[in-house]
Amino acid sequence: MTTADHIRNFSIIAHIDHGKSTLADRVLELTHTIADRDMVEQVLDSMDIERERGITIKSQAVRVMYDASDGQTYQFNLIDTPGHVDFTYEVSRSLAACEGAVLVVDSTQGVEAQTVANALMAMNANLEIIPLINKIDLPAADVERVRHEIEEGLAIPADEAILASGKTGQGIDELLEAVVARIPAPKGDADAPLSALIFDSYFDAYRGVVALIRVVDGAISAGMRIRFMATDVLAQVEEVGVRRPANEPMESLGVGEVGYLITGLKDPADVKVGDTVTLAKGGVTTPLPGYREVKPMVFTGIFPLDGDQYADLRDALDKLTLNDPALIYEPETSHALGFGFRVGFLGLLHMEVVKERLEREFSLDLLATAPSVEYHIYRTNGEMLTIHSPQDMPDAASIEHIEEPYLTATVLIPPDYVGAVMDLSVARRGTFETMQYLSTTTVEMKWSIPLSELIMDYFDQLKSRTKGYASLDYEFSDYKPSQLVKLDILLSGKAVDALSFIVHKDKAYATGNVLAQKLKAIIPRQLFEVPIQAAVGGRVLARTTVKARRKDVLAKCYGGDISRKRKLLEKQKAGKKRMKNIGNVEVPQEAFMAILKVDE
Amino acid sequence: MGAYRALYIHIPFCKQRCGYCDFTTEARAQDDPALDAYLDELLRAVRSASRNGELGSAESIYIGGGTPTHLGHKRLVNLVYTLSLSLNLHDDTEFTVEANPESLTAPLVRDLFALGVNRFSIGVQSFDDRELAALGRVHDAQQARAAVEIVRERCENISLDLMCGIPLQTPGSWEQSLATALATGVNHVSVYPLSIEEGTPLVGFAVDEDIQATMMEDAAAMLGAAGLERYEVASYARPGFACRHNTAYWTGLAYLGLGKGAHGMRMTAEGRERLVDGAVQELLTFPEAAAEDLMLGMRRAQGVSLEQVAAASTLLPNMQQAFEQALDRGLVRVSNGRYQPTDLGWLNGNELYSTIWDARS
Repeated sequence: MTTADHIRNFSIIAHIDHGKSTLADRVLELTHTIADRDMVEQVLDSMDIERERGITIKSQAVRVMYDASDGQTYQFNLIDTPGHVDFTYEVSRSLAACEGAVLVVDSTQGVEAQTVANALMAMNANLEIIPLINKIDLPAADVERVRHEIEEGLAIPADEAILASGKTGQGIDELLEAVVARIPAPKGDADAPLSALIFDSYFDAYRGVVALIRVVDGAISAGMRIRFMATDVLAQVEEVGVRRPANEPMESLGVGEVGYLITGLKDPADVKVGDTVTLAKGGVTTPLPGYREVKPMVFTGIFPLDGDQYADLRDALDKLTLNDPALIYEPETSHALGFGFRVGFLGLLHMEVVKERLEREFSLDLLATAPSVEYHIYRTNGEMLTIHSPQDMPDAASIEHIEEPYLTATVLIPPDYVGAVMDLSVARRGTFETMQYLSTTTVEMKWSIPLSELIMDYFDQLKSRTKGYASLDYEFSDYKPSQLVKLDILLSGKAVDALSFIVHKDKAYATGNVLAQKLKAIIPRQLFEVPIQAAVGGRVLARTTVKARRKDVLAKCYGGDISRKRKLLEKQKAGKKRMKNIGNVEVPQEAFMAILKVDE
Repeated sequence: MGAYRALYIHIPFCKQRCGYCDFTTEARAQDDPALDAYLDELLRAVRSASRNGELGSAESIYIGGGTPTHLGHKRLVNLVYTLSLSLNLHDDTEFTVEANPESLTAPLVRDLFALGVNRFSIGVQSFDDRELAALGRVHDAQQARAAVEIVRERCENISLDLMCGIPLQTPGSWEQSLATALATGVNHVSVYPLSIEEGTPLVGFAVDEDIQATMMEDAAAMLGAAGLERYEVASYARPGFACRHNTAYWTGLAYLGLGKGAHGMRMTAEGRERLVDGAVQELLTFPEAAAEDLMLGMRRAQGVSLEQVAAASTLLPNMQQAFEQALDRGLVRVSNGRYQPTDLGWLNGNELYSTIWDARS
């Protein structure tokens, strides 16, 4: 066992796409952790979607042994963290397991919003930060500018920043030496009762829940009786070990060590990220700081296109939640869409990834409704109702007031785009908070903005209005009262529940109008006229009509045409299968997402 | 074999390919030896079919294209002569030759008529010169009128093809074309709304289905008022002049196709086979064939009888419901014990046909 003074626990943090995973690959290569033949791009990103999108969703912890230039061998525990704002809490727990962090900044992009957010989190966690300027092999690399941004914007001395390229391997040796020299060894009391932090967990079909832990005090070994403090669950340690990156059982994990823990527990809800593991008897009484319940922020209805897939969808969600406890779902019934689920996510990326996995890994054809947030409805009778779906909105007369979640959004942009961000954010009911120049080329703006507005395409709009320069980070601030109403969409005079959404009173008229027009463009002409109306509480705000289709016939049909025409009919039919029949109206799937596009 | 009730012969040559055309045809000069070679091959196929006893029961013959008259007098007469020797022609046999105005001559009509051809289908498309030019037709309106005159001297069974929704066409010019067609005194008119096929020069022209719908309605009204009844979605005729060959296609009769790319259909122990160039392309099971018959039946004004639908239900358990659904949606009505297409069912035929075809299983 390596003594604590030869252990270095660190994380690599970066804005998305700044090359974090590739850098981690080079570290594993240089320390011969993975044989060359087993090397695949981005080893630590274990899911297909992670690899394809180049993002990390789950944390990883890999132990590598490094023979330093001082002649001694060090145990490095490299903790790879999720690189997206949806997973801020998971990142904070991973960082709490470390003493240091390598802050990767793309030399062609410079400091971006998540660079700032992640650096701040690392500072809050009291980590030693080693700045690393990456991708210096690219012609567009501007090391001096980036160095300046790191110093000005983040107040991190950057004269000793490591210049590296994950692609060519340049600077990796220097990085490994810096980890030894600059990151402190973990401190802990080997004789104290066990106290270990869970910073992630995943589900193994054979072993049950596998927790990734960092031992703070004491030691943990197989056979020990332990307690998960937040959930107050008792268990016996079946196995502990380290990941290289394959699991390698060990007799025990001591102070400062990072590894995995298997207890045979089958329910992921028992093993929560941020919880403290201690001894069942004679354990610590105060858990490690920082634990909180993870709460989904964004909700959407997910329905199988083919009602027969309902049970398959439920099974698939069941399986996904094993590895993703932040995902929650409950059955939802829609008059328009039938049986499905209301699913809660940490954020929009999380939502996209889950929907994609459901469709890809479980071969489901799904229809998702527009995302919603959690509203607090204060009723005249004094009770407070929490709703996740516009469908659940009670009658307006019974509502005293409504509160909705607000975020603090941090936007980083070149100064030229301040006006554009102002425009967009004010239109999205944002309240300006602060603005500061991080450098002559980067402005940081902070906005208080409703989450419901942010999830409506805000980031895409921000990107397009700033020619891609803007970066965005956000965190939940609080619930605030808003004048909200439920906008209903009626097709052929009947309200379609799956198309309703909650909108600010002042925007209801404009949004209703635009949406009605969008739907008119999306819904194909049918045999009969389809009136589209947008209404609030029975009052029609906007109306338009999809005219009846007057002609659809392949008039010429002789001997040689019969087979061909029949095949054309079959093709037309296949297109219709992708639509949902609501009453007698055929509605394409994109209609349910049309609300996201009202700004275009 | 020998059960073919209809014979189709394909002539895949034209003077020039039209802008909307995606048929099996190619532009060739009339003195191109390829035309002679093709004709030789075709005559061999006719003789061989004759030896196999496949031609004896044909009640309709249709020489189509392409442009059959582009073969020229000698070759076309040669073909029809060879056919007349092999076929069991009698007074009731319908023998159609497709013709384009630019290559139709009085001597040709005279000789073909003498050999048994008793119906001419003339590709007029429009009586407006600008529209004809826009379609890439090689004739003008005057030639079209003259062609009808020539044929009328010998034969009263003449059909004209007209197209609506074509470039440059206006509601007024469409009415004018219809009026001119009626003035020629023909007994049969086919009305085709233009459809744009991939790979043709007209790709990029936006068809306006609303305008086409109005024009189809105008055609039905004008032709109907003049005594040409609509007997199929695109076909109008005075009583007794409905095309029997096309009716064979729509009523599930077996047909033999000879010539390049020609389609045939026959029933076998397995079901309904469709052949192209003599090779089986498709096999429909008996239930599928029954569904196809009902679908094609609903292209016709007389539709299908309630008994026929009920009888098909032993093979097709969902068919009854499909017809009831079409009735609910206003695509068909019941009249004299038959399901017949409504105006909505004519114009939105695809909706009706696919409802029926979907009930095949």
